[in-house]
Amino acid sequence: MLKCKINGKEVEVEEGTSIIEAFKKVDQDIAHYCWHPGLSVAGVCRLCMVEIEGNPRLQIACNTPVTEGMVVTNQSEMVKDAVKWGLDFHLINHPLDCPICDQAGECGLQDQYMQFGRYDSEMGQPKVKKKKVVDLGSKIVLDSERCILCSRCVRFTEEVSKTNELGIFNRGDHSEIGTYAGKPLENDYSVNTVDICPVGALTSKEFRFRQRVWFLKDKPSVCTGCSTGCHVDVYFNKEGLWRVKPRYSEVNGYWMCDEGRKIFKSTNVMTTEFVGERDDNKKRAIKKENRLTQAIHKESGKTVYKTALDSLGLLREKMNGVKKAALVLTGQYTSEEYTDLLGFWKSQFGVDNVYHWINHEDQMNEFDGLLIRGDKNPNTKGLQQAFEKAGITAKKDISNISDMDLVVVAGPENPWTFDDIPSVAQSLASNKSVVWLSATHVESAEQAGGNFQFIPVKTFAEKSGTFVNFEGKEQKFEKIDIFVEQALSLSEIATVLKGDFVKLDPVNQTERIHNEFVHERG
Amino acid sequence: MEVKILTEHYDDDNFRTLEGYKAKGGYVELEKAFKMKPEDIIAEVKASGLRGRGGAGFPTGVKWGFLPNNGETRYLLCNADEGEPCTFKDRMMMERAPHQLIEGMIISAFAISSPKSYIYIRGEYVYAAKVVEKAIKEAYDAGLLGKNIMGSGFDHDMDIYLGAGAYICGEETGMISSLEGKKGQPKLKPPFPAVQGYLKKPTIVNNVETLAAVKYIIRDGAEAYKKHGTEKSAGTKLFSVAGDVNKPGNYEVPLGYPLMDLINNECGGMKGGELKAAIPGGTSAPIITAEEIQKATLDYECLAEMGTMLGSGSIVIMNDKRCMVDMLKVISHFYHHESCGQCTPCREGTGWLHKLVGSVVEGTAQETDIDLLCEVANKMKGRTICALSDAAALPVLGIVPKFRDEFQFFIREGYSKVKGQAHA
Amino acid sequence: MFELSADGKEFVKKELARYETIESAIIPSLYQVQKENGGWVSEDAIAHLSDLMGIPEARINEVFHFYTMFNKKPVGKYHVQVCCNVACAMAGTREMTDMFLDEHKVKEGEMTEDGRFTFTRVECLGACDKAPMMQVNEDYYEDLTPESARNLLRDLK
Repeated sequence: MLKCKINGKEVEVEEGTSIIEAFKKVDQDIAHYCWHPGLSVAGVCRLCMVEIEGNPRLQIACNTPVTEGMVVTNQSEMVKDAVKWGLDFHLINHPLDCPICDQAGECGLQDQYMQFGRYDSEMGQPKVKKKKVVDLGSKIVLDSERCILCSRCVRFTEEVSKTNELGIFNRGDHSEIGTYAGKPLENDYSVNTVDICPVGALTSKEFRFRQRVWFLKDKPSVCTGCSTGCHVDVYFNKEGLWRVKPRYSEVNGYWMCDEGRKIFKSTNVMTTEFVGERDDNKKRAIKKENRLTQAIHKESGKTVYKTALDSLGLLREKMNGVKKAALVLTGQYTSEEYTDLLGFWKSQFGVDNVYHWINHEDQMNEFDGLLIRGDKNPNTKGLQQAFEKAGITAKKDISNISDMDLVVVAGPENPWTFDDIPSVAQSLASNKSVVWLSATHVESAEQAGGNFQFIPVKTFAEKSGTFVNFEGKEQKFEKIDIFVEQALSLSEIATVLKGDFVKLDPVNQTERIHNEFVHERG
Repeated sequence: MEVKILTEHYDDDNFRTLEGYKAKGGYVELEKAFKMKPEDIIAEVKASGLRGRGGAGFPTGVKWGFLPNNGETRYLLCNADEGEPCTFKDRMMMERAPHQLIEGMIISAFAISSPKSYIYIRGEYVYAAKVVEKAIKEAYDAGLLGKNIMGSGFDHDMDIYLGAGAYICGEETGMISSLEGKKGQPKLKPPFPAVQGYLKKPTIVNNVETLAAVKYIIRDGAEAYKKHGTEKSAGTKLFSVAGDVNKPGNYEVPLGYPLMDLINNECGGMKGGELKAAIPGGTSAPIITAEEIQKATLDYECLAEMGTMLGSGSIVIMNDKRCMVDMLKVISHFYHHESCGQCTPCREGTGWLHKLVGSVVEGTAQETDIDLLCEVANKMKGRTICALSDAAALPVLGIVPKFRDEFQFFIREGYSKVKGQAHA
Repeated sequence: MFELSADGKEFVKKELARYETIESAIIPSLYQVQKENGGWVSEDAIAHLSDLMGIPEARINEVFHFYTMFNKKPVGKYHVQVCCNVACAMAGTREMTDMFLDEHKVKEGEMTEDGRFTFTRVECLGACDKAPMMQVNEDYYEDLTPESARNLLRDLK
């Protein structure tokens, strides 16, 4: 271990630690754009300048290792001047389009400008013109003029995704990031480049122009996209979730996959789909109710709407006459919910007809070497553990379920990961009665005929609990907010079915978010 | 007086062939070196006081001493990416005496135990590259390269690599990047190339003239070599002189030689006007005025004292018909064009400087822009990975304060003080 | 679609084996493309090289755009590169380039209508003692005067 002093604070760091890492360790602010803890050191933005005692020249903190007894500061006038000028060099050719820039509010340039800004630009010369609104494929848009050439995104595609789509072409102040011959930036991890872009050069098509970031709040959670269980930050307001970004953990490092970013879609009451191409006049937004907001009973072709609790009450009454019942569980609920529901089920119906509905069993053990796993359920391990604890040997052949008086299905929260929903719904329809617990509408089941009862359940964002990931790591997460008033967790459903009362949380507890809300950049 | 050590036989056309070179004592020193211990060669080079002839003037023997003893393959790179404007000595050396360079390189490679070397030649020097490539082939055929050279047990391979037009590849880590097949962008230091250079292996990068000089240090010994030059600037050096003199060209003189003598004797005096100024070490060296030139001697320490540098040894002489605003415009265009674009202060600053000087010429500048020009230049200094940012800033910081009146005149009157209204 | 000749492909293969890393073969291979493609490198040639060399297109494209000697668009049969750095500028090459452009009614970097010339101002070519100078394709022409330069271009076949 090496002892050093950072802005007067003593700190011990391991050999090989860079000065910028030491700054982070003692929570001292240090301006930087190109350095990112998950990437190699580029040392090009020249903003993380520090003064080291005994060294007349300023050094960059990202490429200078700490040595024993080193005394470092970035509070001296010399450093402040260097940062001020470093920022000025960044800004001279940068467009001042903050009002229409999606990065506004979480922009590295804005943040530093507020701290070190030179309030009158001294650049009276015409700015360098570069490409605007470059379409980089289905997920990302590039604005070259906003780019400060920190090279984070290029290093990401070289070092992390290893897909090498991006490069910096030309040289000097005509350098531009881009793809060869306008090829799209399409890889399974591409949106990470948007996260690490310190300015508004790379923006996500999914998120751009939807929300001002200062009106969003963020809370930590765990991704439900696959069994890896990446740690994430969820950005939300009272209308719902707007985006998901990776949060550093040992499980996922600094990254997450693009697929995982879709998980917020299962939580929002309404979803908006854009139809048509960017340049197409007919491009339009189609709003659709996504969540199940109340219970729906489909009986002999008729549709009846009920509140979730009323619907459950009817189920409880019906259960007393049921002789043959089956329970179908998917790996997209919390361990706590499995324990509670299985506990109830076992006492009511025994352990014989419990099913584990698996999506693509053949792909369960696939792994792309980085983060993406073939098991598209956050809690398959948790479900298996719950079965074991309850002494249940779960069956897998759902298509064989027939002649049941009652089938209860806890359907997938992310329906796009189960492409056999229509066929399962079809085959279950032959049973006397099916109760389908689901966060979202299950259109194929709604149209399958038979007697279906749909009851709204909570998504990951609306409950606290535990997911056990592929390696058996228990990952607890907290509730974000309630977006659907009537939605229940499986635990709450078990409680109601047992005859007890549940007290439901009110929706939208999120207080109004004020402008002073500032959050950490990636 | 010229002292021709390196250039003694340059007028002999045959000197570029192996046969002609051998006739003038070629590869004798290689044989001699093989009888020495590598560490003794390094010691001799250290003792000679030889300093890098490419621009930075770093002591060669000391640089060699930085190589770590970790058993990794060591590479020797010859920097023949002569790009500093107005420098043309390395081209002549390669075209006229390729074997001198090759011999110097084999001796140096033997001294640092390197099995492989490259001569990185700038892409524009097509002819020089052909000459060197041919000479390397001759050397291979004669057993001077390859396995067990001259029965010494020492193996060495040598190859050339042709650049493709980028000044920055003359910076040693930019050159390494380029040789590795990447953009020629300089690398972060530390680690220094001697520790982690080409392909992260220990690498020594030396200029053409430096490596060629090694041969003569072995031939004459460090003491004899040191007899030329000054205490801190040993030996002879080639100076490329261009501009307003009657006989521009390359001249080999002992370090410490008075600049006025070079102008008046070797270069045949001024042409087209009175002496006004000189850029002594490539365009990145701050300019010196006629008055300063009177006292200037061509050695590292005198020029450093004057706030400029010896650099690559290229000297541009200017007469009193030269407009300094115009000169700075040409120079700042160059650095704007050549900035690799990695570090922000250089990428953005070089363009800013160029535009500011341009606005003086175009008549859109204000007098406060003169100070801004100097301030921007000042803030570009010492804040980037390599020295290109400094190289762009220094000419501004030399020319603007010393010829401020020309800038003021141009801004106020809209035409050059020197050239007059007709040339505006 | 551009494709290297059989010899060209053979050359690239040799270069790939010549250096310690395959990336070092990018510059020589781009030279080869330029030679076979009438003096410039087209965008599709990058994809071709990428295929041939097993190096991502973006990496080759970065190298291609970094170095000024690779031409990004077609050039004339004679690429006239006039040095306009300090010593040559002092010797009048800027005016000389204007004269060329004027006389051939062409813009800098563009090809003349007959496809014979492209004129470009370039940085120091290291022949300052022989200023003013220019490079036509691979050859240096030194100690020029406007007259001699004009005659020289006229006599190029």
